[in-house]
Amino acid sequence: MNLQNVTYKYPLTETPALQNISLQVNDGEFVAIIGPNGAGKSTLCYTLAGFVPHFFKGELTGLVEVAGIESHNSSLSEWVLNVGLAFQNPFNQISGAKYTVFEELAFGLENIGIPREEMKTRVEDAMKLTDISDLAERSPYSLSGGQQQRVALTSILVMQPKVLVLDEPTSQMDPIGTREVFGVIRRMAERGMTVILVEHKVEWIAQFADRVIALKDGQIFLDGTPSEVLTSPLLQENGFGISRYTSVARKAIEMGLWKKDRLPITLDEAVEGFSLLNTDETSS
Amino acid sequence: MHERLSFYIKRDSALHHLNPLTKLTLVFGLVLISFLSPWYWTPHTLLMLVIIPLSFIGKVNREFFRAFLRLILPAASFLFLMQAFFQPIGGHVIFKIWFLDITQESLMFAFRNAIRIIVMVSSFTLFLLTTHPSELMSDLTRRGLPGQFAYVIISTLQILPQMQAKAQTIISAQRSRGLDTQSSFFRRVGSLGPLVGPLVFGSLVEVEERAIAIEARGFTSTHTKTSLYDIPDTNLDRTIRWILIALVILVIALKIWLS
Repeated sequence: MNLQNVTYKYPLTETPALQNISLQVNDGEFVAIIGPNGAGKSTLCYTLAGFVPHFFKGELTGLVEVAGIESHNSSLSEWVLNVGLAFQNPFNQISGAKYTVFEELAFGLENIGIPREEMKTRVEDAMKLTDISDLAERSPYSLSGGQQQRVALTSILVMQPKVLVLDEPTSQMDPIGTREVFGVIRRMAERGMTVILVEHKVEWIAQFADRVIALKDGQIFLDGTPSEVLTSPLLQENGFGISRYTSVARKAIEMGLWKKDRLPITLDEAVEGFSLLNTDETSS
Repeated sequence: MHERLSFYIKRDSALHHLNPLTKLTLVFGLVLISFLSPWYWTPHTLLMLVIIPLSFIGKVNREFFRAFLRLILPAASFLFLMQAFFQPIGGHVIFKIWFLDITQESLMFAFRNAIRIIVMVSSFTLFLLTTHPSELMSDLTRRGLPGQFAYVIISTLQILPQMQAKAQTIISAQRSRGLDTQSSFFRRVGSLGPLVGPLVFGSLVEVEERAIAIEARGFTSTHTKTSLYDIPDTNLDRTIRWILIALVILVIALKIWLS
């Protein structure tokens, strides 16, 4: 996946939502995108998933390329076969045309003309992967938020895209729903799917992502490994959320309790850092 | 409430196994014949000898009679009374109530119209009880109905109860902030604004998101759509459809010939 100098303006707006974004994502990479409200995270998702410029009008310049195809030269219905998109509200992602979860998952496959037998195997396999086989005969509207969001994710996965773009998929979930959804995302990443995830829950990103991109005012602000980006002092100054483990360690530095040179972003790293402290005391 | 969004009752019967189009043809056939037949006895004979037996064949007779007694019969009775009293035709006055004459002709006229309505509504009820909406739509789509059209019909059926639930949430939310929804008529009309506004604007935002969601699943794909379910269309189905069409044509011809 390749973006070069991408700038995009929504219709009837003055300032571009994305400015001069250049980005290369390797196959199988798990990229997390963070940023304050209005930073252009959703717009970037729409651009990757082809909805800019095919669904939202406005001015797009620069190059958006996935698997060697340019989005300008493709139709939306072909583009979605390469790049799948899921977003926040699970309720609005349910087609409303189907009465059971199984039918709901088959909806996309019916649209792209997959033969019946293959359709059934694909749906069954995908349900196993996301652990929703027991919901197959339920009405999609009778499910909990976490279950609905897993159905929404599965409905994209059955299409077998190369890249999965997720726009804050857990923002309306409770902790249990969040864990369920992240479980699915992690399994996808482990199977070698390229994942682009917009997410506010930094602790989860720290655990799973290969790379973190911080967006601000429609531009790439930071780009690097989770521990580089998430511990950067620039984050807090610019209104980004940071991991609570990082905050605790910062406080610990002030009090002279943090001996490691790197700040932690996960629970394990924090525990490791503080256990250094313990060994110091016992040795002295 | 969320689990049951259609009238469909899942049973294993000969009627359930008919192709949806055959059943639809049957409904329209019954309605056309009962409205166009030159003979007075046609509609109630159809009801007694075709529709009611079909409800037993379809194993939905209990649900059918429940709908019939609670909904269809009261509505038709009302229609019957209105027409019997207010139809100024005929001279054979049977009895008078105040200034209202009940004539033999107006009674006959009212009965025929009421029974036609009964035939129409009850055959549709029978259709809805024995046909799954998705099956109907996949079958019609396969026969060339545009996918967008089928989607609009079927998603409306599903989304209406959701809208209802949302309206209820908005009403509760506004009432908890002191909106008056229970006093005089005019106050209630005045309080519609804060209820309808969020519902309509909220729905518009939802429509865009839903459009993106189905678009992300290849809704406008140019591939020929396939269907998860195999909806059989047997020789029996085709025969029934042709017989029904022939009967309708015959009735129209008789009507023209006899008039």
